[in-house]
Amino acid sequence: MKRSLNTFFALSTLLIFVGCSSLQVTEESVANQSVAGVSISSKSTATQAVLANAVVYFEYDKFNLTAKSIQALKGVSDLMQRNSKITLSIEGHADERGTREYNLALGQRRAESVANYLISNGVQRNRLSVKSYGEERPLALGSNDSAWSKNRRVELK
Amino acid sequence: MKVNLLIFSIILFPTLCFGELFLEITKGSEDPYKVAMIPFEGNSRLSKELNSIMQNDLIRTGEFSILDEELLLPIQIIDDELVYNDWKLLGMDYLVTGKIIKTDNSLDINYEIYDIHKKRKIRSSKVFGIPNQIRQLAHYTSDGIYESITGIKGIAATRLLYVNEIKDSKSVSIYKLMLADSDGKNEKNLLTSTEPIISPSWSPDGKRVAYVSFETGMAKVFIQDISSGKREAVLSKDTQISSPSWSPDGKYLSLTLYQDGNAEIYILRLRDRTLTRMTKQYAIDTESSWSPKGNKILFTSGRSGSPQIYELDLRKLNPKAKRLSFEGSYNAKASYLPKEEGIIFVHRADDGLFHIALKYKKENFIRILTEAKLDESPSVAPNGNMVIYGIKEGDLSMLAGFSLSGARFKLPASLGEVREPAWSNFLR
Repeated sequence: MKRSLNTFFALSTLLIFVGCSSLQVTEESVANQSVAGVSISSKSTATQAVLANAVVYFEYDKFNLTAKSIQALKGVSDLMQRNSKITLSIEGHADERGTREYNLALGQRRAESVANYLISNGVQRNRLSVKSYGEERPLALGSNDSAWSKNRRVELK
Repeated sequence: MKVNLLIFSIILFPTLCFGELFLEITKGSEDPYKVAMIPFEGNSRLSKELNSIMQNDLIRTGEFSILDEELLLPIQIIDDELVYNDWKLLGMDYLVTGKIIKTDNSLDINYEIYDIHKKRKIRSSKVFGIPNQIRQLAHYTSDGIYESITGIKGIAATRLLYVNEIKDSKSVSIYKLMLADSDGKNEKNLLTSTEPIISPSWSPDGKRVAYVSFETGMAKVFIQDISSGKREAVLSKDTQISSPSWSPDGKYLSLTLYQDGNAEIYILRLRDRTLTRMTKQYAIDTESSWSPKGNKILFTSGRSGSPQIYELDLRKLNPKAKRLSFEGSYNAKASYLPKEEGIIFVHRADDGLFHIALKYKKENFIRILTEAKLDESPSVAPNGNMVIYGIKEGDLSMLAGFSLSGARFKLPASLGEVREPAWSNFLR
């Protein structure tokens, strides 16, 4: 048999019938398994100065703003209206419970809630960029209510 | 088979730990096939290694118990009435013998399986390899043994993808996308990044992987060729893109795109990168996953007010999503069993804890299969007999698995956290 590295696999199965009993006879080659690794280091975070650092918190599984978070966001929209050069990155996060992809979407909804509030208060959409880290960037470690409540948040940068 | 209550609780630490994962088999099934494995003839060091890998493979399935080496009978001629009777007295169901043939540039294995009760040889096979492929040769051999005895294709020669997060001395996280054999050994690093990596997904031929990387500061889906390392973003759009799932024919990726201000499912044709929108809903739609035949997708939607599992029939024009989960307020990340006889998913129970659950199509109730607190990311082996998933023990995440026959195992890492397992297709 030829042992070329390119031979991905070769498998032959033969059933020999002897009376009523069958014997399975096979021949195969194992697959080539070459692997190339890649290393990337992402660009340092944007050099944009942090103009506002409000954090908005959310209830479990929810993305609606609470009365308290609306108070905090009022200050942000006032600041944005006074200074038309400010742009904001709005980052949504979730706690670790539930699935990662659903939490990514939930974080996005939370960030959109904040963006929509600012837009309804006169901030132009093109000054806001919205994204989510889901549960991938917890602020507080641990699997308890206190850590979870700190992690269900939107950060403004 | 015999009703023999044999629940063993053994921990197998292989002597050669060159991978970062350690396999712990915590429970076997209650009625295993009993197999005697005669050490293979040939190079004794290789024979020992081969034997230990194969025993691990078979025991991990939960369906086998292997006779202790000290209890093996000294045998000369196998195909003999008396010899069969001796093995029968030892309670064995099957006997495996074999030979290792090594040259400078080849390493081959010949093996044979005997049915002790039927008193005949049931398999005679050859596996061809090269000298550094001992693990793979062992996995092919165990898969042959598994298939001959159970009638189901073995999964020892399949592979796993997962994410390993390691914190450095300053608590800064490094994320690694890893590839390993199904037993956690032979680990290879596919990607190292300072930003999170989630949702790895295999191409059906096992040659490429898709995953979500945050390296640009935003979730994006990449495709990477395993052997060359060549990688590319699947779309150049300025929006979050996540949750890739490969169609069974390899021609499409289903994805979640956020360009509509909300998570919606799209299907991307890889040949020309054309996108077809599949959901249009104010609520979250994500975690799509193809049916084995490629004619349906499962996904998670928040349209009912809580995450639930839905199915879309792709053969229909403007298909209407059909809800599949009704029990409990959180059911997500579903995937089909290989024969579409049921779905495996994440379920939040009444106690608020997250478990892996199974619902057969024919049944109107769900089966909860795991008992930790925050079980997630289930991935079904291609033969449908095993599931690997992520668990949290204390503050540490690790991989765990179970077979539908009741066996359980864990794969903790020597360093950092492991999560997001994805089981490959058959690679043989």
